Amino acid sequence: MTGVVLYVVLAAFGVVTGGAAGLLGVGGGTLMVPFLTLAVGLTQHEAEATSLLVVLPTAIVASVVLRRRGVGDLGAGLRIGLLGAAGGVLGALLALALPGEVLRIVFACFLGLVAVRLIRDSLLAR
Amino acid sequence: MRPVAVRPSRLLALEPRLVGIGLAGGVLSGLLGVGGGIVMVPLLVYWAGQSQRDAHATSLAAIIPISCASVLTYGIAGEIHPWEALALAAGSIAGARIGAGALTRISERPLKLVFGIFLAAVSVLMLVRS
Repeated sequence: MTGVVLYVVLAAFGVVTGGAAGLLGVGGGTLMVPFLTLAVGLTQHEAEATSLLVVLPTAIVASVVLRRRGVGDLGAGLRIGLLGAAGGVLGALLALALPGEVLRIVFACFLGLVAVRLIRDSLLAR
Repeated sequence: MRPVAVRPSRLLALEPRLVGIGLAGGVLSGLLGVGGGIVMVPLLVYWAGQSQRDAHATSLAAIIPISCASVLTYGIAGEIHPWEALALAAGSIAGARIGAGALTRISERPLKLVFGIFLAAVSVLMLVRS
């Protein structure tokens, strides 16, 4: 993909990732990073950096919508995030220094276990 | 499990569990290139005792400062592709309004199911790519 087509496809994919992000409470990096590496051809680190720049306005817009509708506690979330920002700097520096393969496998297995529990909790009536 | 109460009186007054959730979300966000929500949402639900909907809203708010810090770090490293980011963000901002609107209407159990399926898909995708 090159030129205008690339940017139209990116914007269309952005609508999908933004919609998923707003509903799922995530930034959308998980969807964008594979797309940017596999379809656009960025390196892993370039894709992670670029996706983080998209996550920021996405999370702001979603938070404004939720605040207006009275869902959640914006102040508490921001404070959690301020503390998390310190961890974010550490994690980003680690990502530049480490080959993340082993970590990603461990993390993927952890996510799988959480997924099973969530689906089970959703399907079992209380 | 008892829900964690947040005292708004002090700027950084948070329950220890919420501090831990923020730190864990931040480190994994920077390390794995995700917004941190994938880590924080399950912890907010199963450790801090929030409802699924509130956990998603809290997570989105927490992602704002976390991604600020990570963007600065990556920006200094010079690895951001600004035009690709701009195109994605143009779509993503429109999508975020739709998605957040849907979050305010969906009920607890289908939301849990959708998030569980999303996590399962992410898990499989990560393992296949490794």
